[in-house]
Amino acid sequence: MLFTIITILLALGLFAGLAFHRFWTTREEARSTIIYVEIFKKYLAWLALRTIQSARKASPKDWWDYVKALPLWRLPDLEKWLFVGFYGSFAYLAASGFFFAIFVPRGLYGFPLVGHVMAGGLFAACLAVIVIFKGRNFISVPKPVNLSLALLDPRKMGITAARVKIAAFWLFVLAGFLLTLSALVPMLPLLRTAGQKFMFELHRYTALASALAATVYVDLEAMGARRP
Amino acid sequence: MSRHGRFVLGALGFALAVFALAPAGSAAAADQDAKKTAWDGNRTTPAHLIPLRDENDQPIIPTETNPLPYSARFTCGPCHDYKTIQGGWHFGAMTATKNGRPGEPWLQVDPKTGTVLPLSYRRWPGSHDPKAAGLTAWDFTLLFGRHLPGGGPAEPSDEGVLADRASRWSVSGRAEINCLACHNKSGRQDHSEWAKQVLRENLRWAATAAGGVGEVGGMASRLNETRDVYDGPNLDDHEWAVAPSVKYRTADFDSKHRYFFDLNYQPADDRCLACHSVSAKDETQWSADADVHSTAGLKCTDCHRNDLGHAIVRGYEGEAAETGNRTAESFTCRGCHLGENAAGEKSVVPGRLGAPFPKHTGIPLVHFKRLACTVCHSGPKPKEGFTRGRTSRANRLGIYGVATWATDMPAVVEPVYAKSAGHKIAPNRLVWPAFWAKLEGKDVKPLKPSDVETAAGDILKAEEHIGQVLVALTQVMAEDEIPVLVSGKFVFSPNVDGGIDSAEHPGAKAGTPAFWGIGKGAEVLPLVPDFDPAAADKDPAVETRFQEFLQALGTVVSAPGQPVIVVKKTLYKLVDGGLDMSDAPAELAGAAGPGWLAEGKLAPLGSDFDIRTVTAKAGTEQTLTEEQVALVLAALAKSGEKSDFVYISGGRMFRLDKNGKLAAGAHPAAEPVTWPLAHNVRPAQQSLGWNGCTDCHSGGSDFFFTKLKGAGPLLTKKVEKRSAASFMGLGGIFQRFFGLSFITRPLFKVVLAVCAFVIGSLVFLAGLLLLGRLAGFLEKK
Repeated sequence: MLFTIITILLALGLFAGLAFHRFWTTREEARSTIIYVEIFKKYLAWLALRTIQSARKASPKDWWDYVKALPLWRLPDLEKWLFVGFYGSFAYLAASGFFFAIFVPRGLYGFPLVGHVMAGGLFAACLAVIVIFKGRNFISVPKPVNLSLALLDPRKMGITAARVKIAAFWLFVLAGFLLTLSALVPMLPLLRTAGQKFMFELHRYTALASALAATVYVDLEAMGARRP
Repeated sequence: MSRHGRFVLGALGFALAVFALAPAGSAAAADQDAKKTAWDGNRTTPAHLIPLRDENDQPIIPTETNPLPYSARFTCGPCHDYKTIQGGWHFGAMTATKNGRPGEPWLQVDPKTGTVLPLSYRRWPGSHDPKAAGLTAWDFTLLFGRHLPGGGPAEPSDEGVLADRASRWSVSGRAEINCLACHNKSGRQDHSEWAKQVLRENLRWAATAAGGVGEVGGMASRLNETRDVYDGPNLDDHEWAVAPSVKYRTADFDSKHRYFFDLNYQPADDRCLACHSVSAKDETQWSADADVHSTAGLKCTDCHRNDLGHAIVRGYEGEAAETGNRTAESFTCRGCHLGENAAGEKSVVPGRLGAPFPKHTGIPLVHFKRLACTVCHSGPKPKEGFTRGRTSRANRLGIYGVATWATDMPAVVEPVYAKSAGHKIAPNRLVWPAFWAKLEGKDVKPLKPSDVETAAGDILKAEEHIGQVLVALTQVMAEDEIPVLVSGKFVFSPNVDGGIDSAEHPGAKAGTPAFWGIGKGAEVLPLVPDFDPAAADKDPAVETRFQEFLQALGTVVSAPGQPVIVVKKTLYKLVDGGLDMSDAPAELAGAAGPGWLAEGKLAPLGSDFDIRTVTAKAGTEQTLTEEQVALVLAALAKSGEKSDFVYISGGRMFRLDKNGKLAAGAHPAAEPVTWPLAHNVRPAQQSLGWNGCTDCHSGGSDFFFTKLKGAGPLLTKKVEKRSAASFMGLGGIFQRFFGLSFITRPLFKVVLAVCAFVIGSLVFLAGLLLLGRLAGFLEKK
């Protein structure tokens, strides 16, 4: 129950945060006032409007078009299938894991569990390869404009989208490592019941962390891609 | 004032004083009683040198003429409140408001009618209320008293006695709670004696005899129903209808007529096991292991404890919530070993009785959520086709004497892993019910075996008929001879109970036509040898034997006619006790061999139906054929009642279809009856999972995939077949797939380990880099 509450709260918080980031960085009206209440009102109005617009626009065809347009398909074959396996396995892991954890009191079981285990193996393998070959792209950090708490501007605090993306990537990799570890260790004759319980909880919460990190990364990536 | 007036005044004054002091007196007595029941803290069992009292609360003088048996109610009752004890688990089934987790039902077994009817006064799934099955408390006591500890149905109220006019409580007395059955430390405590006394209807004497307090003779079952215990010895009969009497073991009495009871506060395991033993059917005593707790030195009652109310802790999870007895939380597996209650809260004092904390290294959590501890630790290990067990109460174990009491039927199988009410899988014992019933809408109402037998007439008497002939012929056999019937592959011979035993006849083929013979060692000679009665040189001894045979056959009670032997158109029969030889009449032209002459026709010694029936069942445990069931169902239908009659066996319900053919179908009443098992607990090294996941999770593990076939008294192929997984509510296909995945699991672990190592190393390197950047940044600042 606690996990469900934390998951829902964090998901909502992240959604609101990312939306606000988008509002703050893309909308003129966000800069039209310095009164926080006014900014918040404008944000809510924009959010409501965007939600309705997105809901009206969203259709399976649109989604399919969006997927087809992803740069992923233009990658070389080997890389393409590596990413397909990576994204696919992660999507299934997240969907099956969170659905059963939140909506099914018994938890993950049956064929979905077998699928989860198999997807977990694929995810770990793909992640290892991606970290080996792509990790270096996430090492260099652009220098911050300024390091100050003035006006609570994240950019002035050194928190830039690029930095957050890098942090999200490494957080995702760290969570992936812990997920792999917390899946592997309980299968070995090492842990007693308390250790098993700890690993189970670790698996859930690192899964949550990885999902949140992935969401942040994808959102910033998508936003960056849209910019001219 | 006159003398009379003073007396009246005095009497009135005394009466007033008594009236005024009575409440104070009764309060003081109650206080005294409370003190008696409260423990003073001493951990010893006091010596029980106490006066015996009979059922009229009169002291027993062991040396007086015709003393009554002792009564626990009045001998033990003064210190241990009898009414409180009456509500205990062993005695209070009829009045209990809560049923508790299902336990082993009483099984009414009647091989002749093919009945295995689960009964319980508690409303447990699959068990029938004895009253609904037509059993009075009297019937129940006689059927199951052998393993009842007295009390409950064996000790009905006065109203109960009067209400059941067919009973013989007034002759037998009531079997009070037999305290000694559990608490007697003496090696004289004899469960077999208890069973025999119950069978003899010596109910009020049974505890005295079984406890070794006295020697009991006579049989109430042979006495007239008007007889009373105060009538003394039966002066009319000193041999057969001898009235029960007790001769006390005077050596155990002191000069004040106090008897020394050698008692245990906590009953010894032997006392529990007298009624609660379970063993694999073909297990030998020397190879059988005890429960790991017993081996460690614990007694049954260390965990299964109780206060004076005798509400014994049964030790299952959820019992505390059900009964309100918080102590029960401590004596579940989880309570003792983990210090957890049923909800998994650490609210129980752990490690009581020295229980070790289990490591459970490498066991995934889901096992603790979905499985009872007993799945991995209790009962026999799963094996192909399950383990056939025998229990004290179902198979009448632990009663010894000239007769063999123990039976193989009913077939109790274990361990059947089934989902319990708490949604946890637990090992169970299982019995397939079998009984005749009346179908009332969707419900079935079991018929009494005696009613079925009456309606069936000769249909269920095939063994009896053959047995009668063989037993009759035994009378005229030489010492090294036994009369036999050879049919098909089998040779049938009489047994001591008047029934028949079958054995495979070496060299015989399945289609061998039946013939009556004489067994001499391994050889079987025909009862009627091939000879020519008209020959001058015939052996006279043959005809002498014919005379003996015919005389013997004349004693057969159910003979359908006069016994005769036909040999080559010659008819042998007895006339005025002598052998008469005459030409067979024309109607018997084709006949030969021994038989019954009735209405001018020769009927064989055993009818075709009888021989066909016993031959079909020979070498099997079954006691009914499909033909018999069809005939009995037809007979029941003709009995006048406009009801739909059915027979249940092997998980199927059999009934006659529109064409009068036997048809089998499913019905909830035919479902197997299960009850959870907890013992024997095996040592850790023998638990499931000790050798790894594949103990259960493999493509063909016995845990999930062994098949259970319905078993019952009916010889048929139409039986229910189930896989072990189906009892667990799990899909067999998934379990097979999941089991197969364990073949690749070692490789999977290696892949995960390599990936974890690679990712972990790179994360570590990135972490170092980040640390370096941070250090640089701080340096700049």
